[in-house]
Amino acid sequence: MFSFTKKQETFDISGIKIGGQPGMNPTVLFGGLFFKGEPDFRFAEKNLQNMYNLSKKTGNPAIPDFFIKKEEYIEEIISFIEKNIPKNYPFSVDIIEPSLKIQTLEILGKKNLLSRTIYNSIHVGITDEERKTLKKYTPEMAIIVAFNPKDKSPDGKIEVLENGAHLTDMGLLDIAKSVGIKKILVDTAAMAPGDNSGAAISAIPVIKEEYGLPTGCAIHNVVEKSKWLNFFENARKTVDASSNINIPLFGGDFAIFGPVENAELVFPIIAWQDILISEYTENYFGIAPSNSHPRRKLS
Amino acid sequence: MKDKIKTSVIGSYPTTINNIDIIYNYYNNKETKWDKYIENAVNDMTNAGIDLISDGQTRDPFIQIFTRKLKGCRIRNRTEIINKIEYDKPITIEDQKYVKKIIPENKELIGVLTGPFTLSKSCVDLYYHDEKKLAFDFAYALRQEAEILQHHVNMISIDEPFFSNQIPEYAKELIQIITKDLSCPTRLHACGDVSKIVEQLVEIPVDILSHEFKLSPQIFDAFKEYSFPQKICLGSVRSDDTRVEPVEEILKHVNKAINVFDGKICQIAPDCGLRMLPHDVAFQKLKNLVKAGEKING
Repeated sequence: MFSFTKKQETFDISGIKIGGQPGMNPTVLFGGLFFKGEPDFRFAEKNLQNMYNLSKKTGNPAIPDFFIKKEEYIEEIISFIEKNIPKNYPFSVDIIEPSLKIQTLEILGKKNLLSRTIYNSIHVGITDEERKTLKKYTPEMAIIVAFNPKDKSPDGKIEVLENGAHLTDMGLLDIAKSVGIKKILVDTAAMAPGDNSGAAISAIPVIKEEYGLPTGCAIHNVVEKSKWLNFFENARKTVDASSNINIPLFGGDFAIFGPVENAELVFPIIAWQDILISEYTENYFGIAPSNSHPRRKLS
Repeated sequence: MKDKIKTSVIGSYPTTINNIDIIYNYYNNKETKWDKYIENAVNDMTNAGIDLISDGQTRDPFIQIFTRKLKGCRIRNRTEIINKIEYDKPITIEDQKYVKKIIPENKELIGVLTGPFTLSKSCVDLYYHDEKKLAFDFAYALRQEAEILQHHVNMISIDEPFFSNQIPEYAKELIQIITKDLSCPTRLHACGDVSKIVEQLVEIPVDILSHEFKLSPQIFDAFKEYSFPQKICLGSVRSDDTRVEPVEEILKHVNKAINVFDGKICQIAPDCGLRMLPHDVAFQKLKNLVKAGEKING
């Protein structure tokens, strides 16, 4: 375990703290909803409640990550958020299609939800229209996906943050700042097995030491893309959930852990890992865990 | 019979990368292929009628194309040198093989190498703290690339824009590391105003010297002072100006050069790479260059 020499930022969104030195704040866990497209709201409601209960038990903050894949789902998913997410809780919107991102931002802005919104995500595919909309409807926090198609190593991830790898007119960090986003999280862009998948983990301490920004990834994506795991189907869920321990182990701050129904396994595993890390970092570096840390829940 | 003056490019060509496509590929676990960008650049050069075609250097700026794949380099805002420079694996070869497959048989291919001095001047040296040693290690690495490249291209062109600002006393030795005993012709492209360094340039062991004669016509006078063995690639349209030079203007420029150099002009080309120009302007410049070439060759 280690401590960073660079000052580490801790950002707050609706009372949830993300970032800091290892052992300070609990790992924030993003659980995905509606990844397959069509929303199943009854299923979502049940799983959401379960995730919040696990969060309360363990001390690891839970953030629902809403996939929006079609225009007709935007209004109903935002209505679901208004109805089912407690008023002081944050959420993230996870959208690929630029036109859907723009429409969603406009609606979130009109419904005064931007102060609770984590925008997932800014990457090399950002359009001019999206930038204009982000300036007008600026979310409280955004995730930058440090995917560099030219270089998938930690260095390549730094490059795309710094200068956009010459695919964008400026680096992704500057793009986020230029549209007014003050609270930036860095997602180290997990790749498929055999395609530098380990770089998403090894990039975490590199990026935190370079920028001091809260950093994490969706290591679940690596597991999901593994064909090798087809030989061990019974172990898939365990491997999937336990892969997330790499994130806090390497100093990371958040895990986008896949479908919300995986929360049952992921929360205790990560809480346990956070406890182990905290016990070491407090003894060795003097980093006291925050009041809500899983270690405080030990009795 | 008079040798044909060939039309050529220097290296880079404008390209528009589809970043949305790249990000969809990422989320769908697909590799982004660069072939279509190379093909667009190559098709433009072919359709304009250019004789000597490059791959368009669409992947990266001309420094990063090389430093991305050489050992000892780390890409940040600028490339940083963090260890000894060594050749790791082929850098441009696969793209050249691809271009060779898609161009008509009557077209020739240029393999472009960014020169060792320019690479050394463009990087932040955190390891050598010795510009000359760094430049020589870049040269040794580029030599290995050139040894493979010579089997896939019709000419190797070494791009050394930094020479016009500061040509090192070891320039000849440096370039010789790359060009010695290669089986294909070689060209040195040094853009900018080289009128003060012609004495050193004519010592460089390459077959062709390529300069920005259109932007810096004073270079004509500087060359008049010397006799030299190399042929000339004549910069004939500007690469820093969106005005498209009319065919007559290019003809006048080339005819002037033919009078000055008396049979030494073997290629006419843009002054430099066209990467920074709007796509339609770059294409029109190449078309007019070809029309001028046709008139000159008769």
